[in-house]
Amino acid sequence: MTKSIVTCRGVGKSFGSGELEVHALRDVDLEIMQGDFATLAGPSGSGKTTLLNMIGALDSPTTGEVEIDGMNLSGMNKADLSDLRLNKIGFVFQAYNLIPVLSAEENIEFVLELQGCPADERRRRAVDVLKEVGLDGMGHRRPSALSGGQQQRVAVARALVSHPSIVLADEPTANLDSTTTGELVGLMSRLNQDLGITFVIGTHDPRVMEHSKRHIELLDGRISSDTRA
Amino acid sequence: MNTVKTFAPLAWRNLWRNPRRTVITLIVVSVGLWSVLFFNSFLTAWGEASKDATLSLLTGQGQIHAVGYLNDPNIEVLMPPPNAALTKALNAPQIKAWASRLQVPGVVVSEYKTLAVNILGVDPASERRVSAIPDKIVEGRYLNGADDDGVILGVSLVDRLKTGLGRRVILMSQNVDGSLSEQSFDVVGIYDSTKETEDFYVFTGLTTGQKFINVKDKIAQIVFTIPLDQDLEPTVADLAQAAPDLDVRSWKTLSLFLATTDSFMQSFIYIWLAVVFSLMAIGIVNTQLMAVFERTHEFGLLRALGMKPRQVLILVALESTFLIGFGVLLGMVLAALTIWSLYDGLDLSAFAEGLEMFQGGQVLFPQYDIGGFILFSLLIWLMGILVALWPARRAAKLSPVEAMRHAT
Repeated sequence: MTKSIVTCRGVGKSFGSGELEVHALRDVDLEIMQGDFATLAGPSGSGKTTLLNMIGALDSPTTGEVEIDGMNLSGMNKADLSDLRLNKIGFVFQAYNLIPVLSAEENIEFVLELQGCPADERRRRAVDVLKEVGLDGMGHRRPSALSGGQQQRVAVARALVSHPSIVLADEPTANLDSTTTGELVGLMSRLNQDLGITFVIGTHDPRVMEHSKRHIELLDGRISSDTRA
Repeated sequence: MNTVKTFAPLAWRNLWRNPRRTVITLIVVSVGLWSVLFFNSFLTAWGEASKDATLSLLTGQGQIHAVGYLNDPNIEVLMPPPNAALTKALNAPQIKAWASRLQVPGVVVSEYKTLAVNILGVDPASERRVSAIPDKIVEGRYLNGADDDGVILGVSLVDRLKTGLGRRVILMSQNVDGSLSEQSFDVVGIYDSTKETEDFYVFTGLTTGQKFINVKDKIAQIVFTIPLDQDLEPTVADLAQAAPDLDVRSWKTLSLFLATTDSFMQSFIYIWLAVVFSLMAIGIVNTQLMAVFERTHEFGLLRALGMKPRQVLILVALESTFLIGFGVLLGMVLAALTIWSLYDGLDLSAFAEGLEMFQGGQVLFPQYDIGGFILFSLLIWLMGILVALWPARRAAKLSPVEAMRHAT
């Protein structure tokens, strides 16, 4: 039986108050299952990033509750949420967001170091995951010496190396050309199929949606459709 | 996870992301500490030189008088020469040298002028060991013995009296029976010292002086010196015990101006430290706040990746620790080199007149004060880290979502 990785129950998020109150999410119920390769789509302001932030334990809902891998996020303190993000969630951002003073390999090892992984194992896993994303031999390069596509691959490698329950990607292809986009989506799709890694990707990009097994459409902060391929 | 070991390399590399800002902060810290360390050494040297210059003239490091003499120094409060117990205490190894003196108020009269002075009768042999004046003769000679009946005058007094070497002056003072003693003396030597000393102190042989005012073997004071590295107070206590009926004092109560200056020098370095540190703190906080503000997005990323607020605080605090620590090391090296370059002394004779006013020595010998080096460097380092915790706390308190919205 497939395990539930993310459960959102009646999740709402509003910003501001009174007449200026804006409802970014309204009463969202969602369940992401292990092995899902889901895309979150919708027009700008529909709540994609806000929902990803809730699922990623980066922000807390105004109403409702979120569970990650069976753990309810309500009532967790900042340190517990940090531990949850470190051990259960991998992030891939639109702007790559690598640490500029660390090499590609060090960026990947950094997450393992936070997990307290021994140095030998860190290095082995970083080399393996770099090979997995097609950057074998480029580990010593700093982000500034890598192309946008290569940096995003490093970001994917960093997200994967900690063996998270789920990888959340927010517009990961927005800054990439079509060839690189194709390669990156192919890579994530292959990792999903071969290794069973769960992906939730917020995107506008039809090339990403083509690969998704599940397509969730958001409109005005509500899920307007949730279809499986 | 060993937090410091994990974040130390990252913190070090972060420092060099903006080399110009790092170098400016390093200069601020190192020059600030240099000034504290060097001025500490300079002021200590100045204090020592001033003390040395003043004490070596007449005061010595301590004196013994009859009780009441210091309040009213006149012929009626003289004391006998040291008895066996006091002589034994004065000859103890912790005392470098001592000398007996007669000192009475009087007047000196030349063909042109009459001036109030202190007449000192000294034994030249022992006086040479406690006073620098015998070595400051610029014309003529110093006294040959306790029975020398010549007189030594200061350069300034000679000018004011319009007299000179080989001329005669008359000394007048109260006799032991209350009458006025008056005697003519040859000027056998002229000495050069501070103007105050030159104007008010006239020297003759001890025995000659005692005969002049008919006080037999009575003396006014015993002056003593000890090695500079030795603590004075136990010696004063020992002497007081050996001479319970006499008034034994250290220079600190004999020369209040010098004691106050000495105490001020000690306090001044802490005032200077506070001023320097306040300026440095503004620089450090400003730099680190800018560094945190510029990297807001990155702190959001680190929090998103799973760094705890405490770990962000440690990372930023480590950056400050390295930055200030490196500046402190640089400041220590600069100060050590500066002091080393003045190993042969810092000649301030160009400012001799001004220094004389403050009883200052003319050649200073700044020394390495290892205790001061460690104390002030640690203080600057620790206080620097403490003020840098403010920007570190700001970074740690950032919400990951809010921080990542911040433009890179």
